[in-house]
Amino acid sequence: MKKTTENTPPGEIPVDKPFVDLVKVSKIFKPSITALQDISISIARGELVFLTGMSGAGKTTLLKLICCLDRPTKGVIEVEGKDLSRLKPKQLQLLRQNIGVAYQNFRILPDLTVFQNISMAMEVAYRSPTVIRRRIDDLLNMLLLTDKRDTETGKLSRGEQQRVAIARAAANSPSLLLADEPTGNLDTETTWQVMNLFKQLNDAGTTIIIASHDETIYKNAPFRTLKLVQGKLV
Amino acid sequence: MRYLAYILAQTGRNLKQTWSTQCMTLLTVSLSVLIFAFFFLIYTNMLAAGEKLGDELRLIVYLEDEIVPQMQDQLERKIRGFSDVEKVVYVSRKKAFDRLSKQLDKDKDVLDDLGPDFLPPSIEVYPAKNLHTLTQIKHFADFLATLPQATKVQYGHSWVERFAYFTKLLQIIMFLSGGLLILTTTFMVSYTIRLTIFARREELQILRMLGATDAYIKVPLLLEGVMQGFLGTGFGLLSLYFLFTWIRERFTGPGFLNLFEFSFFPLQILVLITGVSIIFCAGGSLTSMRKLLRL
Repeated sequence: MKKTTENTPPGEIPVDKPFVDLVKVSKIFKPSITALQDISISIARGELVFLTGMSGAGKTTLLKLICCLDRPTKGVIEVEGKDLSRLKPKQLQLLRQNIGVAYQNFRILPDLTVFQNISMAMEVAYRSPTVIRRRIDDLLNMLLLTDKRDTETGKLSRGEQQRVAIARAAANSPSLLLADEPTGNLDTETTWQVMNLFKQLNDAGTTIIIASHDETIYKNAPFRTLKLVQGKLV
Repeated sequence: MRYLAYILAQTGRNLKQTWSTQCMTLLTVSLSVLIFAFFFLIYTNMLAAGEKLGDELRLIVYLEDEIVPQMQDQLERKIRGFSDVEKVVYVSRKKAFDRLSKQLDKDKDVLDDLGPDFLPPSIEVYPAKNLHTLTQIKHFADFLATLPQATKVQYGHSWVERFAYFTKLLQIIMFLSGGLLILTTTFMVSYTIRLTIFARREELQILRMLGATDAYIKVPLLLEGVMQGFLGTGFGLLSLYFLFTWIRERFTGPGFLNLFEFSFFPLQILVLITGVSIIFCAGGSLTSMRKLLRL
């Protein structure tokens, strides 16, 4: 696990070759709403970084750009040394399989069970049914969801749905995991369960970017914190 | 192998989610295939019957009077010079009388008062197999009528003409029902796939975000179209087979249908109909995907 001190200036390039590299990235929504302005960040392989800021600061937009769900208006984004704007559809699909994303609005299917929702991520990567079962059972155990395995996610509480989204993001043991407000709907105990999962994944080598405005999870944590204010890195 | 298993599982999910529309489409494809195949079956049987009739076709040229053997040779040369013929048979008055009395069998005494000369002599012309169309037959008959001594040419003119027109009508109906088949298979399947895409829009978006490949999303939808084509055609042709068997069983015995030997499609034709239907259904599926899926 690569820990960077709190003294590390925001966006500074770590010692290793960056795993996620953003160079002067801007995103302007039509007609003229600037969501991000000249963002330059370098994140090393295996690093865990908190992306903080108020609502509307541009955290979600930044995560969407990193996982190629949107394109920047200006600037270059590289993941694993690959310029995202130059990726062919096939390469983009493979890259997405390697990036786990836990969305703020969960993006899970309410009429599918917890197991089915999580297994979707592993099925698109053509994992074997045995591997899928074992991995999902482990994740559900870690996130205290074992008893909800065969429950339709539409019948779960917001907190439980959030954990399902996190489990799906982590299912493929991705090399990069992006979590958007992952503890927004969780109580204190579950928050620390989720953070514990992130730490375990990070220990196993996963690079993690957590966007959150919940100070309790990043305050005093031995990880780099990047703060966004009105689309700018401060 | 795993790829195939996931693709099939996805296809199963699609079918489950829109099963009522799938059933309607299946029914429509089956009916279209049934209608088309029904007319196609009649048409092919009529063509076969036509060929059989063509084999037995003969034109009889009635002559004014008996002709000597030299004249017979001369006429045969003239006829052969105009068109290919299988054979030319001269039937004298006596031969014609003998044939008739043989046909009458026990009732031949009705001929006693008429005498052996009451039937006209004739030449029977058996045309070659390449004489197919009604126009060709008519043209040949017109020529035969110009032969010296010829008084009348007979070949079941009105019957042949009606048969040719009926075959033509069947051909038109067959093309129309073929058009109907193409339209229904393409549009209905396209519509069903569209519904599937709408029903699973959210899921497809999530799959895309999770890194699903084009094949993972598109192949199940294509398979759905292929299955509609295969099953729809299968049901349609199976229904036609039962209908065919039913008709054959009920209408055996003396009657019109007994004039011809009706037979079902050979395997090659069944495979061809199924193949073409599957291609159109897959085409419908691809059209919807191209319009609605942006990956």
